[in-house]
Amino acid sequence: MDILSLDPTKFIDLSTMAIIFLFLVGFIGGLVSGFIGSGGAFVLTPGMMSLGVPGTVAVASNMCHKFPKALVGAIKRFRYGQVDVKMGLIMAASAGIGVQIGIHIQRIILDMWGQAGSDLYVSLSFVFVLVFVGGYVMKDAVKCARCGGVEETTALATRLQKIELWPMINFPRSGLRISLWFTLPVGFATGMLAATIAVGGFVGVPGMIYVIGVPGLMASATELVIAFAMGLGGSINWAMHGMVDIRLVLIILGGSLLGVQLGAIGTTYVRPHMIKMVMATIMLIVAVSRGLALPTYLVKLGVMNMGPDTLSLLNKVSFASMCMALLIGSGIILGSMWIGRRAQLAEAA
Amino acid sequence: MATSQSNKKPIGRTILFGALTAAFYTGFFTYGDNIAAHFAQGSFWAAGPIATVFAVSYLHGEFASNLWSVLGIAAISKDAKKTVEATKRPAQRPVLNA
Repeated sequence: MDILSLDPTKFIDLSTMAIIFLFLVGFIGGLVSGFIGSGGAFVLTPGMMSLGVPGTVAVASNMCHKFPKALVGAIKRFRYGQVDVKMGLIMAASAGIGVQIGIHIQRIILDMWGQAGSDLYVSLSFVFVLVFVGGYVMKDAVKCARCGGVEETTALATRLQKIELWPMINFPRSGLRISLWFTLPVGFATGMLAATIAVGGFVGVPGMIYVIGVPGLMASATELVIAFAMGLGGSINWAMHGMVDIRLVLIILGGSLLGVQLGAIGTTYVRPHMIKMVMATIMLIVAVSRGLALPTYLVKLGVMNMGPDTLSLLNKVSFASMCMALLIGSGIILGSMWIGRRAQLAEAA
Repeated sequence: MATSQSNKKPIGRTILFGALTAAFYTGFFTYGDNIAAHFAQGSFWAAGPIATVFAVSYLHGEFASNLWSVLGIAAISKDAKKTVEATKRPAQRPVLNA
């Protein structure tokens, strides 16, 4: 295999501020990830790049911290009986195929329209998926909250579960039986999205809930199994090309392993619709954030004219709003835990 | 927490895994730049970062888990462990109810 060994002198010098930033984003990202099954990556990669880390090293290091975090989160939530391992493994296998095809599509776009075209494709996918899926999840979460937090299987999932198409698979942990052919597209889309915007969970979790009919709590926990399998494969690949800066990985892991366990504990304090609420909130804020980054790519492609100062300002606002998405998400999680704890204490008294 | 699964707090394990994690991080970052440069050679060196993150997941993961327990933040044991039975598969062959 061709080794693209990175010149180690290109690794950044770690300042105290950089260490604190990575640790904190790791912690908050871990908290959100333990709770909704994905999160944090969309801030960490641009965050590392803003510290001077080359793009590929940022992506590789991010992925290398993601899979052990997902593993620890999955083990924790497995102990709470929330993980459907069988579903996770089947989805991970189809997600693996999705990743390969996603990478292939990216290469075709890169060859045809260059870096700016590729950036535009990534941003448009981000905005489209996040607005469409995030909007739907938010609508459902609000509906769920209004009717007392009772989760119902969607009409689509119920209909699909009734179709007897060989091979039918039993998922006793999720309490459902469905044809393999209906689980494959969800896993495939998760992998495609992971290869495009690096956050496959934004499609994987809603897909499991609304298409397959997995309960929200279980879908978010099962996503951690998929994230682990995809992350491990991707990390080995990146590490063989020498792209992982292990120092960055360990700093982020320091924070995220604390956060992911707290997030996993948090799921036992809240009603299932809170997971949908947090996920939708983060998705919609990130959609706005990526929308603000679109003019940069449109200018690069020559479709739009805009001054460099305005573009720089838009990019700063875009990054700040992504950080805000994580902060608001973690605020909702910690707030819900606090309320849950008070209710528990009041019950015990 | 009122509903923690066990009233006994794992203080000993927290200190043990905390010390091991701290020792690991101190040892690593003493030679951090050097180790990172070696791991960046790719190929078989890929085993380095993967093994390192697994080791940290175990040591720091155990520490973090015990730390939250010691701080009184533990999961509420609801009926989450209940396994829901999947719908029974309909009989494929006719059965004679004689």
